[in-house]
Amino acid sequence: MNAALSVWPARWTRQQRSTATIAASAAVLVLFMWGVAKPLSWMPEPIGPVADEFASGTRVTVWLTLAAGLAGIAIGVLAAVAKLAPFPPIRWAAELYVWAVRGTPLLVQVLFVYFALPAIVPALRLSDFSSAVVALSVNVGAYNAEAIRAGIVAVPRGQTEAARALGLSPLQTFRDVVFPQAFKIALPPLVNNVVALLKDSSLAYVIGVVELSNVGNRLQAATFEPVPTLVTTATIYLVLTTVLTQISGAVEQRLDLEQRR
Amino acid sequence: MSLVRPVPTSAAPRTPLIVAEGVNKHFGAAHVLRDVSTRFFEGEVAVIIGASGSGKSTFLRTLNRLEKHDSGRIVVNGIELNDSVRNLDAIRREVGMVFQQFNLFPHLTALENVALAPRRVRGTPRGEANRAALELLTRVGLADHVHKHPFQLSGGQQQRVAIARSLAMNPKVLLFDEPTSALDPEMIKEVLDVMKDVARSGMTMIVVTHEMRFAREVGDRILFFDHGALLQDAPPNEFFDRQRNDRIRAFLGQLTH
Repeated sequence: MNAALSVWPARWTRQQRSTATIAASAAVLVLFMWGVAKPLSWMPEPIGPVADEFASGTRVTVWLTLAAGLAGIAIGVLAAVAKLAPFPPIRWAAELYVWAVRGTPLLVQVLFVYFALPAIVPALRLSDFSSAVVALSVNVGAYNAEAIRAGIVAVPRGQTEAARALGLSPLQTFRDVVFPQAFKIALPPLVNNVVALLKDSSLAYVIGVVELSNVGNRLQAATFEPVPTLVTTATIYLVLTTVLTQISGAVEQRLDLEQRR
Repeated sequence: MSLVRPVPTSAAPRTPLIVAEGVNKHFGAAHVLRDVSTRFFEGEVAVIIGASGSGKSTFLRTLNRLEKHDSGRIVVNGIELNDSVRNLDAIRREVGMVFQQFNLFPHLTALENVALAPRRVRGTPRGEANRAALELLTRVGLADHVHKHPFQLSGGQQQRVAIARSLAMNPKVLLFDEPTSALDPEMIKEVLDVMKDVARSGMTMIVVTHEMRFAREVGDRILFFDHGALLQDAPPNEFFDRQRNDRIRAFLGQLTH
């Protein structure tokens, strides 16, 4: 679904078109987060009267996704590098992390961070929102680690050799040469992970975060009208994931210098 | 064709830039370098030839430690090549390398490829590094292609960018690892011409190649590798015209027929 790229004038370069798509999609997202209350308020009972709650739930969902998404990429990069480290204990730690996170349900992880973590370490008593961000970013980070590791491994060895032969340090070689190429390779699976994250953020409702699913669920419980409430909730998710894929598709286009697609 | 180069005469005191003494290297059970000892002097163009698998590329790659030697000594510019990271960094700043597969950075333009190392390693400001890069790319005949990415350039053009990239660090010596072997025949000349130009400027060069005409025209010495050993080290006219080693004669015979 990259329809947005073809609406721009044909004489624009792909760079300009992808930049325009990113800007337009970001604008749509912001407009949607604060403007969705308006059209919702025109809707009949039971949606209209609680339009503001849906809008605020939408914003919480987007913030959860953005915060956990960014932190998850940082965690993913660190874990991917650790998985490739020459020092075995670092590798083992990274593998243990990925194994544990991918082998347990996200629901359990969310509950663990909110309830079990402060029981073990009292200083780690976090708000419901922060707990959800921590659990979600640790979770998506483990999946990102695999994608980024595969990207790093796919960068030809000659790239590292050329950079090292020029005198670049290992850190400079990674930052300036290997990572930009690895990120481009890892982008499609990373996007999958972020779209999954947007939907998985609904699990934050179990610890009381009032995000989109929670708003829909509460309304459904109060009104016994499952069809309009859940259709509204699902539609808002669909708008969000569509905007997200437009942005990521445009980022991919930008990085695809060879213009193969 | 004679090349006018500031070649040090034998009377002048010559300092070896690179010294290799009894270098050995194994890949598993294979003994790929056998007691290789030689010296490379400043301003000299040494050409290394030999059959594939003779260890010539491996030897070249030990000189900037892309391959570790198992035993023996390698001293570059007075610095011993060992496990010391500080020594290695110091050596790699002075030793440039051009690869068979070019190894340009695909996400950067030609100009960015050339300017990257001076900016990061020498701390040259961006504007200055870009000006120097433009000058080098002009020197290798690519002034019109500075803002292109590697995939938009032909193989010959990519290799010329790679030569400019290694020159940007102002190295004391340039290593060439079969620089024309991955090129289409019609692009070999443009790369060899650039290499001749670099040689003419007095750059110390060590070149692994199969281009015998280049070896004869530009080389000051020919080093012949055979089964991991340095079998012969001779001036080009002696090597090509008065060759007495049967093995090397056979090798050269295969090339001309």
